[in-house]
Amino acid sequence: MPENGQRCALIGRYVVRVTRRTGIRAPVRRGCYGERVSTSPGEDDAGTADSREDAAGQRPAGKRPVAKRPAPKRKVGKRPSRPVPAEAAPQAQPEVATTAVDLLEPQESAPDLAAPAPEPDLEPEIVGVLPTDTPAEPEAEAPEPRETAVEIPNTEAEEPVVDDVERADEDAAPAIEDSAAEDPAPVSQAAADAPPALVLRGVSRSYGGSTAVAGIDLTIPAGSFYGLVGPNGAGKTTTMSMIAGLLRPDRGEIQVGGIDLAKNPRAAKAMLGVLPDRLRTFDRLTGRQLLYYYGVLRGLKPAVVAQRTADLARAFDLTEALGRVVSDYSAGMTKKVMLAGAMIHSPRLLVLDEPFEAVDPVSSANILEILSAYVAHGGTVLLSSHGMDLIERVCTRVAVIVGGQLLAEGTVQEVRGEMTLEQRFVELSGEVSSMEGLEWLHTFSD
Amino acid sequence: MMTGSLRGPASRIVARAFGLVVLAVVVVAVCLSTLTLTDAPVPVAFALLVLAGSAITLSFALAPVIAGAADPLDPRRFAVLGLSSRSLAWQLAGAGFVSVPVLAVLAFDICAAVVWTSHGVPGLVSVLTALLHVATCVLVARLSLAFSAAVLRPRRTRELSGLFVLGVVVVLVPVIVFLSSLEWQGQVPSALATAADVLGRTPLGAATALPGGIALGDGGSAWASAVIALATVAAAAWGWMAVVERALSTIENPASATGRGGLGWFAVVPGTPGGMIAARSLVYWLRDSRYIANFAIVPIVGLLPTIPLLVAGVPGPIAALVPVPIIALFLGWLPHNDIAYDSSAVWVHIASGVRGLPDRIGRLVPVILVAIPVLAVAIPVSTALYGRWAVLPAIIGVAASLFLAGLGLSSISSVIAPYAVSRPGDSPFQQPQRADSTGVGAQALVMLGAIVLSAPALWFGWLTVTSDVSYADTALWSGLGVGAVVLILGVGVGSWIFERSDERIMAFAGTT
Repeated sequence: MPENGQRCALIGRYVVRVTRRTGIRAPVRRGCYGERVSTSPGEDDAGTADSREDAAGQRPAGKRPVAKRPAPKRKVGKRPSRPVPAEAAPQAQPEVATTAVDLLEPQESAPDLAAPAPEPDLEPEIVGVLPTDTPAEPEAEAPEPRETAVEIPNTEAEEPVVDDVERADEDAAPAIEDSAAEDPAPVSQAAADAPPALVLRGVSRSYGGSTAVAGIDLTIPAGSFYGLVGPNGAGKTTTMSMIAGLLRPDRGEIQVGGIDLAKNPRAAKAMLGVLPDRLRTFDRLTGRQLLYYYGVLRGLKPAVVAQRTADLARAFDLTEALGRVVSDYSAGMTKKVMLAGAMIHSPRLLVLDEPFEAVDPVSSANILEILSAYVAHGGTVLLSSHGMDLIERVCTRVAVIVGGQLLAEGTVQEVRGEMTLEQRFVELSGEVSSMEGLEWLHTFSD
Repeated sequence: MMTGSLRGPASRIVARAFGLVVLAVVVVAVCLSTLTLTDAPVPVAFALLVLAGSAITLSFALAPVIAGAADPLDPRRFAVLGLSSRSLAWQLAGAGFVSVPVLAVLAFDICAAVVWTSHGVPGLVSVLTALLHVATCVLVARLSLAFSAAVLRPRRTRELSGLFVLGVVVVLVPVIVFLSSLEWQGQVPSALATAADVLGRTPLGAATALPGGIALGDGGSAWASAVIALATVAAAAWGWMAVVERALSTIENPASATGRGGLGWFAVVPGTPGGMIAARSLVYWLRDSRYIANFAIVPIVGLLPTIPLLVAGVPGPIAALVPVPIIALFLGWLPHNDIAYDSSAVWVHIASGVRGLPDRIGRLVPVILVAIPVLAVAIPVSTALYGRWAVLPAIIGVAASLFLAGLGLSSISSVIAPYAVSRPGDSPFQQPQRADSTGVGAQALVMLGAIVLSAPALWFGWLTVTSDVSYADTALWSGLGVGAVVLILGVGVGSWIFERSDERIMAFAGTT
């Protein structure tokens, strides 16, 4: 049985890879994670990560995932994502769901799937198989030739690959599940040299005496869908403003893609797409003008901006509204047009403060799909939200900020443990406010 | 094609018919007054006819660009007929002769030929020069149409047409004011005679100046005019050939026309960050009531002081000189708090890492665009009311100094010391909620600074008016020099500070 399971995993892995290479959509809604709406490969990651976690019983695993994630990411970042964000990405975004760029998708989810699988066993044949099978990504497996608890003969791996390509999608998830549960297989050191999308070191900021953010350390691996949660006034917006370069930290250091935001702000900002909360925009411009403004300010050529504006408008369902003045938009539409503006220069890291506030469910599902595809292609999303279930559903990793301090950080599964994220969040943010002292409220005055 | 344009809805027929009638009346009037020149002295006839002819040529060159009319004789439409480009060019140019405006010009030129013949110019020469002038007009109009179709059509917007009209106003108003203030006493004012002489040597007026040169007995200038006029027609014909050739051998690039629709000012400006900021500022200056209120104040503060001055017995001519410097000062002072009007939307600039220079310059563009026509109208009117055109350079110098120095200081102050203003969408007269920075300091400093820096121009301007007109040129150059230097320094320093104070600007913007 273990053999079987592992074999399945293998199959799944290859299948996935192959399907991706052929442009077929990566495994979506598969297996036991089918209930998730999003198609983000990140889900898989989260799922696998947590199951691994449980099995291993390692709470402090925060280190490991952090380290591990970059491995796939780096690949993505190096090969496909460089050119893609540059020119193809914007156009691709709307259509990603259907026309997955073959090279990109595989890489993103392949590692994910692979990670939980019994790598140790697989390593040998992977190394052997990969070059022939998918020359595209030798480095995925390369860095992990260490453990060799080989249980499966190499030969076995190769055949399934060839045969079962077609049905892989179905098999993949369960296989992973099983194997993951059995083998927590850490992949730690693989990631070491990939620059994380974002690093915060000891970042703190106070407003006239009151501390808003007190020494946050945070590392966001490239290619993650990262959620930032916290109660009102916890310092989320301050943190995100500092990341976006709108505020300077009093102390500490912020690196975006390895570039220091304080020392080289223009280069760092060029990699950032920002959607601030509660800041105005130039709302006397029409939607089209606003997107044009955003794009050209980011240094894009007018013709490129025009093209991307059309694509984004289609993706966000704004085409009809482009000719109207933004101040006439509803709150949700304003959010959407600003989100489109944040993406127009195909940044590496999207910093989105409350992106789904006031956005209707259809649009937010739509936006989530776009963001997931963006992450699948190597982009990184950092978003804050009050919607716990949303964060739980879409994010691969999450950080809880309370009172300006980072209380928990890791994959969703790590953070929430046995509880739902919401329960865990309430627990972390402290007392459920007692109703003592409000008794008078219950003695109605009339 | 001409009669074809008379078909269509009744309203358009009426409008066109009315236009035709008006045109006919004007042409008849012009022809009659031209014919009266048969009795006038030769120099007068020369000056007037050269000026009129040049104006006509110029309007043929500019009208298609300004009006943006589609060319019914666009060579590309005839490409399917398979004619050779050379013969097509000739045919289209020939067809271009048959149009209402050209008929009007023909009438004028016939009258001019009659006048010259009566002044002793050989009839053949008169007729030939008349034809030359008409040909010049036709070819220039064709070239202009082709240019406007090729270059401007894709980016044509209401805003661009508005800019052209503005340009015409800027040129025409001073000229009209100047002409109407001249004293005609059976003599051609010397300035006008000089202008006619110069125009007679340019492609615009050469054809009409040719017979004049003969009539004046100035063979040299007649020959020069003849050469220039023929060269002009030849060059225009060659250019037209090239245009037709190109039109027939290339296809329109549809990509250039897509994507720029609905962009308004953004389609007019260059596609750079500076251009974007300029376009965005223009939209705001022209549409946001808070900015409009600022503009509205300018003429009021400019004109109000003249009333007490007049009441107090200051002579009218002196009082007429007061508004221009004040208007220039206030126009330069307008953008001194520009960043504050963005409110927190300025985050876009900071998050995008916009350089300081495009930000500073872009924000000045709307004010400059408004100030130039305002000053171009105000300065000649003011000078005409004063009565002596010799002081014109001094007034220009003073106005330029105050305006440019104000812009330079504003560029610095809007980065260093923005103060709270009413928020976007609020009434311009609503007081902002914050009390900690009233901005009095910045307002006063910019205004006083501009005045102090303009001291040289003001002093020489004062001397020009009170003692010696010969100081006018000194005032002009000192004013332009000081203004330009302060503007460049101010924009440079403002940019430098802007790039280093993003934190402070956001802290300010976040609280408004």
